[in-house]
Amino acid sequence: MVTSPVQDSPSPAPRRRGAAWELWRGLAARGARLLAGLHQTWRRSLQLRVVTITLVASSLLVGGFAYVIANKITDILLENAVTDTRLRLTSGADYTAKQVSLFSQPQEAQLQDTIEGTVNYLAGGDPQQTSGVVVAITADDHPGILQTRSSPAIDVRPLISRELRAAVADGNVAKQIRTGRLTGERTKYLVYGSPVPTEFGQIEIYYFVPLARQDAAAADARTTVAATGVALVLLLGLLAALVTRLVVTPVRVAARTAQRLSAGLLDQRMAVNGEDDLALLAASFNQMATNLQRQILRLEEMSRLQRRFTSDVSHELRTPLTTVRMAADLIFAERDEFDPAVARSAELLQAELDRFEELLTDLLEISRFDAGFAMLDAEPTDLVPVVHRVADRLAGLAERVGVAIELDVPTAPVIAEVDPRRVERVLRNLVGNAVEHGEGKPVLITLGADETAVAITVRDRGVGLKPGEEKLVFNRFWRADPSRARQTGGTGLGLSISLEDARLHGGWLEAWGAPGQGAQFRLTLPARAGDRLTTSPLRLVPADAALPFGGPRDGGLLAIGPGAGGALAVTPAPAGDGTAGERAEARS
Amino acid sequence: MRRPLLTGVAGVALLALGLTGCGIPASTDVEVERRVSTAGAGSVSGGSLQPPARTAAGSNAQTFVNNFLAAAAGEPDRAYDRVKEFIDPRHHDRLQEKQGSEVALTVVRLTDDPVITPDVDSTKVTINVQQVGLLRANGTLLPPVATERSYEFKLVSAAVPGQGDVEQAGLYVQDPPNALLLSDVALAQYYKESSVYFWSSDRARLVPDLRYLPEAVPEERQVTEVVRWLIGGPSDWLRTAVVPLPDRTELINNATGSADRWEVNLALPANDEERLDQFATQLAWSLPNLDGQVELKVQNQSRRVVDLAGQRRANPVYELAQNPHRFCVYDGAVHPLAVVGEPGTVPLAEGDNRNVVSANFDRINDRTLAALVVTGPDKRQRLAVGSGAAPLAGLRKGPVHTAVGRPVWLRTLDPLQPRGLVVADGSLYLFDRDARMSRVQLNGVTGAVTAVAASLDGQRIALIVGGGLYVAAVDMDGDSVTVGPARRVFTSLTALSAVDWAGEDRLVVGGSTDRPAVYDVSVDGARQTALQENVGARVTHLVAYPVNPVAPQPSAVMYEANGVSYSGSTRIQSDQVLDVNPDPTGDRSGNPTAPFFLY
Repeated sequence: MVTSPVQDSPSPAPRRRGAAWELWRGLAARGARLLAGLHQTWRRSLQLRVVTITLVASSLLVGGFAYVIANKITDILLENAVTDTRLRLTSGADYTAKQVSLFSQPQEAQLQDTIEGTVNYLAGGDPQQTSGVVVAITADDHPGILQTRSSPAIDVRPLISRELRAAVADGNVAKQIRTGRLTGERTKYLVYGSPVPTEFGQIEIYYFVPLARQDAAAADARTTVAATGVALVLLLGLLAALVTRLVVTPVRVAARTAQRLSAGLLDQRMAVNGEDDLALLAASFNQMATNLQRQILRLEEMSRLQRRFTSDVSHELRTPLTTVRMAADLIFAERDEFDPAVARSAELLQAELDRFEELLTDLLEISRFDAGFAMLDAEPTDLVPVVHRVADRLAGLAERVGVAIELDVPTAPVIAEVDPRRVERVLRNLVGNAVEHGEGKPVLITLGADETAVAITVRDRGVGLKPGEEKLVFNRFWRADPSRARQTGGTGLGLSISLEDARLHGGWLEAWGAPGQGAQFRLTLPARAGDRLTTSPLRLVPADAALPFGGPRDGGLLAIGPGAGGALAVTPAPAGDGTAGERAEARS
Repeated sequence: MRRPLLTGVAGVALLALGLTGCGIPASTDVEVERRVSTAGAGSVSGGSLQPPARTAAGSNAQTFVNNFLAAAAGEPDRAYDRVKEFIDPRHHDRLQEKQGSEVALTVVRLTDDPVITPDVDSTKVTINVQQVGLLRANGTLLPPVATERSYEFKLVSAAVPGQGDVEQAGLYVQDPPNALLLSDVALAQYYKESSVYFWSSDRARLVPDLRYLPEAVPEERQVTEVVRWLIGGPSDWLRTAVVPLPDRTELINNATGSADRWEVNLALPANDEERLDQFATQLAWSLPNLDGQVELKVQNQSRRVVDLAGQRRANPVYELAQNPHRFCVYDGAVHPLAVVGEPGTVPLAEGDNRNVVSANFDRINDRTLAALVVTGPDKRQRLAVGSGAAPLAGLRKGPVHTAVGRPVWLRTLDPLQPRGLVVADGSLYLFDRDARMSRVQLNGVTGAVTAVAASLDGQRIALIVGGGLYVAAVDMDGDSVTVGPARRVFTSLTALSAVDWAGEDRLVVGGSTDRPAVYDVSVDGARQTALQENVGARVTHLVAYPVNPVAPQPSAVMYEANGVSYSGSTRIQSDQVLDVNPDPTGDRSGNPTAPFFLY
C-alpha cells in the first residue's frame, strides 16, 4: 500500500494542514484503490498466485542457500589466510627467537640491527616484491631501548589495537581483523601477533596480511551466487507461469465454453489436443455437452409437441363447440317451452358451454404464450381509469356475493407504458379472484407509482393462503383444496395467464397470504417499457398483516437478542417493559 | 494477501542479507589462540669475561690505569660507553665518538710502568707506549696510525668532597687522550685470537688471516662473527695474495644454531657449487673449535649441510709430512740431525753436497726441492738449486754473491715451477729451479734486507728490512711473483737478525731486548713472547717448525748463534750429526751450523 508520510510542517497554518490532510487522504485513497485492485487481481488470477508463491518460496530458499554458500566461501578464504599466516607467524616467531637468542641485553647495538634484518627477512627481503604483507617487531617491555621495526618501514602502531597488544603482551598468540592504511589503499588486514621469548624478556612479532585479495574473491563469489540465485528465482517464476498457463488456459476455455453452453449455445465444444488429462477433461466436457444438448433438444421437442397439441386441440374443439353452442343457444332460447327438468338441463348446458368457451380461450392464450407468439402492444396509458373500469365491471358480481370493492387510487393520472388490454385482464383476474375468495369482506385495490414503476395491489380478507401457496397459486389448474370441485370461479388458468402478462411487460406478479388474514396480490410494472424493475412502489405484505411468528401484542415492544445457532432472534419483549419508550414498528 | 507479502519482504531481506552480510568483516574482536611459554629460548654461554668496571680499582691509581687501558675491550659498538664510564662526565666531550665500523681501538704496548705523579687535587699519569696497531671493529689489527709515544692524563677522585667513601667512589680520568686506548695486555686478556682463512688468488690454498674476537661475545655469535669476517674480506696486507668472497655476498641476519648444528643464510650473487664448496672449506677451517654441522642456505634455500670436521679432513689446509726431519750443515755438507724423532736422509748426491753454507729442502708430493748456498773457490757464495726425485745430482748454480742468506722455498702445489726467496747482498731475490735469480722489488720499504722467511701456505713472507720486521703477501701468478705491500710488525725487539714462521700467525724473531733473545711474535706484533732470553750472542740463523692444525706438533725452534746451533735452549752437539764419514783422526771438533727442518 502506497503511503505518504504526513507532512510535519512547523507552520501552524490550518489551510496548509488541510492541504496536507487532503493530499494524505488522496494518497491513502489511491493506495486503498490500488490495494483493492491488487486484491481483486490476486483473487481472480490463479496464475498470479502460483507465480507469486513460487517466487516468494524460491526466493526464501535460494536466498538462504546463497547466504550459506557465500558465507562458506568467505569462511574458507579467511580460514586459508589465517592458516597461512599462522604458519608464517609460527616460523617467523621461531626464527626471531633464534636470531634474538644470541643477545642477552636489549642494549646491545647489534640487536637492533638483528631485529631490523629479521623483519626484512621475514617480510621477504625486497620490500618492492612483497605481497603487501608487513612484518613488525615491537618491544613493549623495553620502550626507548628497542624501537619498533617493520618491513616495509611504516608506522604499524595504529593497526595494532590496544586489546591485541595486551593479549600478545600477556604471552598469547592472538589475531584480529582490522581495517586501516599501511601501504597504499585502506585495506582490511589480518593482524596476527605472537610473543617471542628472549633472554632479556619478551618482544612481540606481528604480521599484517592484507585481505584485499580474499575480499575481492569473496565479493566475486557473492556476486556470482547472487546472480545465479536471481536467475534461478526468475527461471522458477517463469516456469511456474508457463506451467500454470498450460493448466489455466484449458480451464479458462472450459469455463468460457460452459458459460456459452449455459447461455444456450448448445453446440459449443472444447478443442481436444493430445491425450493428456486436460484432453480427457475436454473430451468429457464435450460428451457432457452433447448429452445435455440431446436431452434438452428432446425435452424441447416434447414440450413443443405438447403445446402444439394443446393449441391444436383447442382449435379443433372450437369448431364443434361453435356448432354445439349454436344448438345450445337455440335450446336455451326455447327452454321455457320444455318441461322444467329439460329447461334446467338447457341452462346447465349453457352455463357449462360458457365455461368451456372460457377454458378454450384461456388455453389458446396460454398456448400463445407458450409458443412465444404473445406480443406486447405497449402504449402510455393512464392506469386510473383502467382500475375504475375493472372495479365497475366486477361491481355486479361483488354485489352478488356481498363484497364491497374499495379503491385507493390517486386522483392524478398514473401514466405508464403498458398494454392496457393485458393489464385490464390481469386486474380483472386478480379482482375477480379476490371477490370470489373475499368471503363477504371488502376488497381493497390500491394503485401506487414512483419514477420507475407502477404497482397495483388487490387485497382481500378471505381465508388467505397457507405458507408456500404464494408460489403455487400461479401454477396452471392449481387448487387450494383439490377436493373442492371446480364449480365456481375461473378456469384455473387465470393467474398463470396474468403471470405471463406481467412477465411480458417485464414486471412482477406476486402473492402474499396468510391463513385467516386474506391475501394480497401485487402487480408491479416498469413505468417505461423495457426498463428493469428494482423496487415496487407498494408493499407486498399489507401493513395490517400479522407478523409470521405471531407478532407483538398490539402496542407491545420487540426485543432483539441472541437466538439459536448464533443468529439474531426478534421476539416480543417481556410484558411490562413497554410502559415507556418509543414503540417499535416491525416492517418486513 | 498480507502473509505472502510479508514472506516476500522477508525473502528479499534474506537475499539482501546474503549478499551483504557474509563478506569479510572490517573489524573483529581479538581472538586469542594459544599461550606461548615465556621461558627463555636457550641460554647464552660465554660473554662473561668483561673488563673491570671503573670502581673495581677503588682509589688505586696503578690498577685504575690498567683497567682504563682495558676498558675499551669488548664489543666495539659500546666501546665508547665503557670508556666514558672511566672519564669524568665533565670531560666526556674530550673523547670524540665515532660510529659503527669507524670505531677503532688504539692498541699500545707499555714500554714501562705508568708514571703516576700525585698532585694537589689530581694525579698526573704519563704512560710511555709503543704503538702496536689499530684494532678495527671487524677484528683486524691494522698498523698503527697514531704516532704518540706517550699519553698523559689526570686522575681525580669521583667522590663528592666531604661525602661518601673515597674508596668506593673510585677515580675519574680527566683530560683523557682522544682515542680508545687498549693495552696489549688487555688485548691478550679480553680477546681471542682467531684465524679466518681466505683462498689464495689461484684458489689452491687457504691463507690464514688473524682476527681478534672479544671474549665478551657469546659463543653463539662466534659463527656469525666469523662469517661476517669472511664476507668482509681479508686484511689489507693480504689482499695481494688472496681473493675475497664475491661482491654482494651477504649474511642474511645472524647465523643461528647451537653446539652441533648451525645455520648460515647467505645472499650470493652467483650460484656456483664450487664456490660454495670452497666457502664451506673456508668456514670449516675458520671455525676450528666446531665439529658439528653447518647448514648453508643461499637465499633461504638449503644448499648443503657441511660437516665441519669432515670438511677439514677432506680439504687439509696444508700438505705436510707428519714428522719433520732435522738437518744441519756440518763440515761443509748437509747432514741429518738426531735431535728429536726419526732422522731423515739427505736427498743429495754425494758430489753435490760440498762446500755448503746453508741449505733448505722442501717436498712437493714425491719430488724434492733443494736450495743450497755453497762457497766457491773464491770464497764467494752462490746458490745451488735442484729439484726432482731424491737423491738430487747436478745442481744448477746461480750467480755469485758476496753473501747469500739462507734460501727459503715458497711452498707451492706446482712441482714443476718451484720458487724460492733468498737474501743476497742485502737484497731479496727470487730463484727458480734453474737457480735463475731475479731481484724482488719491495713495496713501501727501504733498506737492506737481512732475512726472509716463508709461511706454510707459501703466500706470506716475513722480512727483516732495515732493522724492521715486516710481513707481506706473495702472489705467485704463473711466471711472475708479486710481493704485496709490506706490513710493519711492531715489536719491542731491536737489532733484529733472523726470522721464521712459528705458526700460522706467529713468527719467531731473533733480536735483542737488552740481550740477544729469541721471541715469539704474532704476525701483527700485538703479542710477543720470549722464547730464549739469554742467547748470549746475536742469533744469525733461525728456523722453526710451524705449529699448524694439519700435523699438530709442538713448535720447534733451532737457531745458530756465534757459530753454535741450538735446538730450543739445548746446544746441538756434534755427535748428534749423523752420516758423518769417520775422520781418520776421529776428530769431530767442528760445530753443526745452519740447522733446518724438512717438513
